[in-house]
Amino acid sequence: MKLLTKYNRVNLITTIIVMLITGFIYYQAISYILTGIKDKDLVVEEREIFDYVKLNHELPQTFESNDQQITFTSASPGSVKREFINTEYYKKFEGHHRHRRQGEYEAGRGLISSVTVGNNYYKILIIVSKVETEDLIRLIFIITIGVILLLLLVLYLTNRLILNRLWQPFYNIMGELRLFSIADKHEITQVNTTIDEFNELNKAVVDMAGRAKHDYDDLKAFTENASHELLTPIAVINSKLDTLIQTENFSDQQSKLLNDLYTAASRLTRLNQSLLLLVKIENKLMHDRQQLNLLDLVEEMTSQFEEIFSDKELKVTCNLHNKEIYANRYLTEILLSNLISNAIRHNYIGGEIIISLDNERLIIQNTGDAEPLAGEKIFTRFHKSSHSEGSGLGLTISRQICESFGFKLEYFYDQGYHVFEVIF
Amino acid sequence: MKILIVEDEEGLRESIEEYFTEAGNICETAATYQSALAKVNMYRYDCILLDITLPGGNGLEILKSLKDNNHPDGVLIISAKNSLDDRLEGLNIGADDYLVKPFHLSELKARVTAIIRRKSYNGSNLLVFNEITIDLQAKEVKIDNTPLKFTRKEFALLLYFIANKGKVVSKNAIAEHLWGDGIDMANNFDFIYSHIKNIRKKLMEAGCADYIQAAYGMGYKFTDK
Repeated sequence: MKLLTKYNRVNLITTIIVMLITGFIYYQAISYILTGIKDKDLVVEEREIFDYVKLNHELPQTFESNDQQITFTSASPGSVKREFINTEYYKKFEGHHRHRRQGEYEAGRGLISSVTVGNNYYKILIIVSKVETEDLIRLIFIITIGVILLLLLVLYLTNRLILNRLWQPFYNIMGELRLFSIADKHEITQVNTTIDEFNELNKAVVDMAGRAKHDYDDLKAFTENASHELLTPIAVINSKLDTLIQTENFSDQQSKLLNDLYTAASRLTRLNQSLLLLVKIENKLMHDRQQLNLLDLVEEMTSQFEEIFSDKELKVTCNLHNKEIYANRYLTEILLSNLISNAIRHNYIGGEIIISLDNERLIIQNTGDAEPLAGEKIFTRFHKSSHSEGSGLGLTISRQICESFGFKLEYFYDQGYHVFEVIF
Repeated sequence: MKILIVEDEEGLRESIEEYFTEAGNICETAATYQSALAKVNMYRYDCILLDITLPGGNGLEILKSLKDNNHPDGVLIISAKNSLDDRLEGLNIGADDYLVKPFHLSELKARVTAIIRRKSYNGSNLLVFNEITIDLQAKEVKIDNTPLKFTRKEFALLLYFIANKGKVVSKNAIAEHLWGDGIDMANNFDFIYSHIKNIRKKLMEAGCADYIQAAYGMGYKFTDK
C-alpha cells in the first residue's frame, strides 16, 4: 500500500467519524433547543387558557389552527399530571380536493395540563406540529453530509495535486536507486527539493552509492592487479617447464610428475585468464562490437571441436538458421566455445549434442549425468560439479557475456538432456 | 638468425634465451628500457621479442623508435596485458605479432620463426626440411614432389613441429596452438595423438623418414637426428 493511500485512508476515516459525531451532537443540540422553544409556546398557550378561564369562568372556544390543536376532556379531579409529551399531530389537508385521506400525521409536541372550571375538572391537551423542526434538522443533516462530501473531494484533490508533487522527489530518488548498478558508470544524480527529509535521504543515498562503488572498484582493481601480477610467475613456471622437458632421460616417475605439473600450470593459466576476462567484461572493456553471423561462427566452432567430438564418439546434430547479432567477436567466440566445451566435458562416451539456432535463441543440449544441475547455482563463480576439470568460471563468464550483449542465458533439464539456452 | 630478447623478468628471459640458442642462432638480451633502446639503436636483429612493461619505460616507445628510423627488424610483443586496445596499438605501430603471457616457448618459437620467414624469404613461400617441401601460400605439403593431402590442423601442426625442430613440444602447447585458449580439456589429449598418428602415416607412406618421436608421454619431438 502506498504511504499516500494509507495516509488518505486514515485521514478519511477519522474525518468521517468526526463529521458523524459532530452531526449527531448538532442534531441533539438543535432538537433540544427547538423542543425548548416549542415547550415555551405550549406554556404560553396554557397560560392563555388559564387566563381565559380565570376571566370568563368557562373553557375557551377550541379552534384549530395550522399548527396547534387544543382539546379539553373532562376528567376526575387530580387524575391529570402535567407533562410534556412527544406525540403525533394530525394535520388536515386544506382545500376540497378529493383526496382519499383527509390529513396526515406529523411529529408533534404536546402538553398535558388540567384546569378546573367551576366544579368541572378538565384535562387539557395542547399539541403543536414539530414539522418545521424536523425540516430544520433534515436541512442540517444534509448540510453536514454535503460538507463531508466536499471535504472528501477536497482531500482527494489535494492529495492528487499537492501530495503527489510533494512526494515527487522521493519517487525520483527511488527511480535513481532502481537504476543504480554497482558495476556501471552511472552516478546517482542529486534531486532538487526544498524538503529537508528528502534532501537528507538523497544525500544518504548518494553517499551510500559512492561508497559502494568505491569499494567495488577497489575490489575489482584488486582482482585485476592480482591476476596481472600472477601472469608473470605463471609465465616463468610455464617457460621453465618447457625448458625442463628439453633435458632428456626422464624416468617414468619423473615424466608423470612433469605431466601433472604441466596440467596444473595450464589450469592455473586458464583460471587466471578467466579472472582477467571477467574483470574485463565487467569493466565493459570489450566494447568494440560488430555485425556477426552467428551461423558461421557456430559452424566454425563445431569444426574446431570436430576431433574432440570424434574422440569422445559424440553424435552432434546441428539445426542452424541464419542469425545476425551485433556483438563483440572475441566474446562471442568465448561464449560458444565455453558452451560447447561444457557440452563435451560433461558428456559420456557415445553421448549426444544437439545445437540449434534460430531467430530467437541458440540452444545447446547434451546428454550427461541423469541428474539435473543445481539451477542458478551453476552460474556462480567457482561452482563446479565434483568431477569437473574446468576452472569453475566458464558459465559465469558465459552469463556475463550474454548479459553484456543484452541476451539471457538459462539452464534447464529436459528428458535426459542438459539444455543451455541463449535467448536473444 | 639474430634475436633480441627484451624482458625484465629474469626467469623468463633466461628460459627464452636458452630455448632459442641453438646452432646458427645468436641471442642477445636486455632487461631495461635503456639497455634495450641502446641495443636496438646499435645493432639490427631478425626479430625482437619485446615486453611492454619495462623498468624505465614503455616497450611501445622502443617499437616507435624502430619504426621512426625505418629499421626492418621483426617485432613480436610479449605482454601481460591481454587487452584488445594494447594489442591493436602494438600492431598499429608496426609490431609483427603479439603474444600474451603466459605462453609456451614452442608457441613463441613458432611465431618468431613465422615472422623471420616472412621477413627474409621475400616472395618465396617454400619451406624445405630435408625431403619435405611446404608451400606456405598454397598450404601444400610435398615429399620429393609427391603432393600430400593434409587437413588444416595437420598442416598447422607440421609447421609447428618444424619451427620447433629438435625440441620436445608438450601436448598442452600443441592443444593450445591448434584449438586456442578456449580448449579446456586438460586431462584428455588423446585427440592429439590421433592427429600425430595421421601425419606420421601420411608422411611415411609418401616415403618420408619418421621424424616425430613421442617424448616420455609428455609431448612429441620432431627431429632428424
